[in-house]
Amino acid sequence: MSSEVRVLGRTVSAAGLIAAGSVVAAAALTVALPFMLNAFWLSTLVFILIYAIAALGLNVLTGYTGQVSLGHAFFLAVGAYTAKVLGGDHQLMALIWIPAAGVVAGLCGLIVGPVALRLRGLYLAIVTIGIVFIGQHIFLNVDSLSGGPQGTAIPSVQIGAGAQCQPSCSVDFSQGTSLGGATIDHNALYYYLSLFILVLGMLFVRNLVRTRTGRALQAVREREVAASLMGINLVRTKLAAFVISSFLAGVGGALFGSYLSFVRPQSWDLILSISFVAMIIVGGIGTVWGPLLGAIFVAGTPTVLNHYADSVPFLQHGSSSGGLSINEFSSIFYGALIILFLVLEPRGVVGLAGRAIALAQRLARGPAIPPSTPLPSQQSA
Amino acid sequence: MTTFYQLLFSGFALGCVYALVALGFTVIYRSSQVINFAQGSLLALGAYMVSWFAIDKSLPFGLAVLAAIGVCVLVGVVFQRLVLRWVAGQPVFVIVMITIGLSIVIDASVSAKFGANPRLLGDPWSSSAVHPGGVTLIWAKIWTIVTVFGVLLGFFLFDRYSRYGLAMRATAADEEAAMAVGVPTRRVFALAWGVAGAVATVGGFFLATFPNQLDPSISAVALLAFPAIILGGLDSPAGAVVGGVTIGLVEELTKGYQPAHASWLGTNFYVIAPYVVMILVLMVKPYGLFGRAPVERI
Amino acid sequence: MTLLEVSGLTVTYGGAVLACEGVSLSVDEGGSVCLLGANGAGKTSVLRAITGLLRYHNGAVVHGSITFDGRSIIGADTSKLVASGIAQALEGRRIFRDLTVSDNLRAGAFSARDRSREKRVRDEVLQLFPPLAARLGQAAGYLSGGEQQMLAIARAMMAQPRLLILDEPSLGLAPLVVEQIGASLREIVAGGCSLMMVEQSTALALATTSYAYLLENGCVTHHDRTAHLLADERVRASYLGTSAGQAEVAAVTGEKAR
Ligand SMILES: Nc1ncnc2c1ncn2[C@@H]1O[C@H](COP(=O)(O)OP(=O)(O)OP(=O)(O)O)[C@@H](O)[C@H]1O
Ligand SMILES: [Mg+2]
Repeated sequence: MSSEVRVLGRTVSAAGLIAAGSVVAAAALTVALPFMLNAFWLSTLVFILIYAIAALGLNVLTGYTGQVSLGHAFFLAVGAYTAKVLGGDHQLMALIWIPAAGVVAGLCGLIVGPVALRLRGLYLAIVTIGIVFIGQHIFLNVDSLSGGPQGTAIPSVQIGAGAQCQPSCSVDFSQGTSLGGATIDHNALYYYLSLFILVLGMLFVRNLVRTRTGRALQAVREREVAASLMGINLVRTKLAAFVISSFLAGVGGALFGSYLSFVRPQSWDLILSISFVAMIIVGGIGTVWGPLLGAIFVAGTPTVLNHYADSVPFLQHGSSSGGLSINEFSSIFYGALIILFLVLEPRGVVGLAGRAIALAQRLARGPAIPPSTPLPSQQSA
Repeated sequence: MTTFYQLLFSGFALGCVYALVALGFTVIYRSSQVINFAQGSLLALGAYMVSWFAIDKSLPFGLAVLAAIGVCVLVGVVFQRLVLRWVAGQPVFVIVMITIGLSIVIDASVSAKFGANPRLLGDPWSSSAVHPGGVTLIWAKIWTIVTVFGVLLGFFLFDRYSRYGLAMRATAADEEAAMAVGVPTRRVFALAWGVAGAVATVGGFFLATFPNQLDPSISAVALLAFPAIILGGLDSPAGAVVGGVTIGLVEELTKGYQPAHASWLGTNFYVIAPYVVMILVLMVKPYGLFGRAPVERI
Repeated sequence: MTLLEVSGLTVTYGGAVLACEGVSLSVDEGGSVCLLGANGAGKTSVLRAITGLLRYHNGAVVHGSITFDGRSIIGADTSKLVASGIAQALEGRRIFRDLTVSDNLRAGAFSARDRSREKRVRDEVLQLFPPLAARLGQAAGYLSGGEQQMLAIARAMMAQPRLLILDEPSLGLAPLVVEQIGASLREIVAGGCSLMMVEQSTALALATTSYAYLLENGCVTHHDRTAHLLADERVRASYLGTSAGQAEVAAVTGEKAR
């Protein structure tokens, strides 16, 4: 049987070839996507990527370290307002204010951390709800920072910024640009930028979990007392998780605000926080791909439902006096989907994908086995 | 001084409602270590059901309340039997997320059925009041306090002396051991959800009598009960009551005095005052005033 | 007459971990049986299969039958089993620490066979374990280890069982206390209740049970009258080789010498 081929002098299994081929194809598709999608889908995708960046951070804290936080929205807000102050008020470059948004949010994590460190489990979850409320209160009252209830503009990303540079070498992300005849609009620019940052973040997290620090995080999740006996510094480990989480939230918040170009304090609410928790749980908690898959599900489902609601006959637009409106229908559907999904596959999309891959592998190996004679091992499985 | 008594009265009444909401949380937390994020939605559902039975179906108010309690108990029990029993043993935050899913479904269903506009509750008190010594005591609030105390007394008697109350405490202490000695734990979990649904309804309609109208934002009130259960300790029903009353008083007193005396704290500071108090308390006592640190084995 | 009959029992956890395989044993009406075996031999799993607690541990009976009083009880609810006369005390006592001693006993009576007799049964049980009678109002967590084990057994007895199942009642207790508990158990058996007990302490096994099964790696390898089984060289060798220490073997031989 030859399910193996020789490539460049090395023996590669058919399954390996298929896998490598799909990775290349997926990468190519990812790069080409902006040219294949219309503005609606592309902008949905940008939101998904930005959410995924922030969710990646929460996953370090909640998924790997086991500290459930409902305060993520606050750190996104800190990131967005940092962008506003540095990029808007002080006209600094995006190359500075994007990382700075992460750093400032991380510092806030460092300040909030010690309070949270004393708490366990759901106590922590509820205290972080408090952070969201208190944060919102501050933002609503400090007009110079947030514009008060009316909101404030967040600068767009500019590369090669400022008056020193010729227009040809600077790119304003709100305007779009053209590259070798192809126009890249502002959605596409934010798409590539967010994608780039997300990939960096995912690589960072993937490497992090393999380091000493990463293993310490996971030890804390498994058994706090035992971890401290193993000589892990609980305070430092949890603080590290808090800071990493807040950093990524800050970066995500800056991009979020910048892409929207205008934010109001009311947007950084508990519902936003909850949707990040939903992302990492639905995606697959404590996995590298979970946040992205979860973001696709959580941010994508309502958008898609709203988009296609027109073709569902019994729905009506914007009702305030009863009757099933599109928003309500999509909410009900979305809530029910979360319930159903987690009941059927508590390990989330990643768990589902794992099953699918296992199935695919079995099918890929399939030709080696005559279909008419099932193996005993398969019967018992 | 009249103002002070006035604030004390309304704070106490509000606190009683928080106590009920918090009790709903602790009953479920005690039985399954899960915070039910759908508690606020159950509360909204209960209040809307009271209004629907009383106004649309013209039932007498007392009957409408009972019918609404029935609906919420049913929703709670069915959810537990139909959904939660399948995820027993899963990580807590998966179960918490499922309750968030339920809350999204209930909230959207309620607003699909009743719309976003405020509606009347159909209660018999409207804004009638008595005025001893210059303080205005609204009947609705007096009834809140009386009823809530009745409900709480009933709950504690049930918890302490009844067979199923004992079963609930035993299951909370050690689920497998409770099963082993013959406690039908699945029925106990369903019961916890039923109790949560019932107290949510009572809390919901009293809450709606305060401004005497009902709108979907009522479900957010449960969020204000979080500081109450944290203050009292997640697993202590008695603590929930003390925490609830404390938070109600803090909120009303802040509302009354902060704008004049500490305006630098910003407008509407009373909304977050409970959270500020909660965080301050937790810095001193990480498991609340009445909660106990779980014994950790290595 | 046979009260409990287990035959060909195979138990797995999570569909993968095999805990015991092809286990057969029986308990007669009024009889007392001991299940011996090293750590991880599968003793607790056999008990869980009988008492309906496997599902709680994500385990399942994949083969075999279990009948109680002639009726199959596989897959039955634990509370139903308690009501039909199978009561148990779990490994490690597992009393409700925050509840009073009295409430612990009440909980044991939740699914009792005849609930109208609760008061009388409680008095009988307290006579079996006198130390408990003085501490009814205290939180059970404050009892000593021995008293906690007594409470665990007393709580099970509140269900008025026909078959009492105990998982390692001697765990972590001093010899004197073990002896006291042994005496109470003999009294329980003398009162007509059948006993099935998992033990690693050979002393307690000898003192309270008349028949014994040896479980090794999930299979019953020997069974005989308790005294014979424990005197068997091969059994002692295998038992010694896996878990029991010198002291316990000495205890066994000591018992025999008496
Ligand atoms: N809840 C569980 N999930 C998975 N495997 C289990 C579980 N409980 C027991 N096992 C496995 O089943 C086997 C038998 O365990 P069991 O607890 O029945 O042994 P035991 O004889 O009671 O041991 P011990 O003397 O230590 O109590 C062991 O290999 C154990 O790892
Ligand atoms: Mg065992």
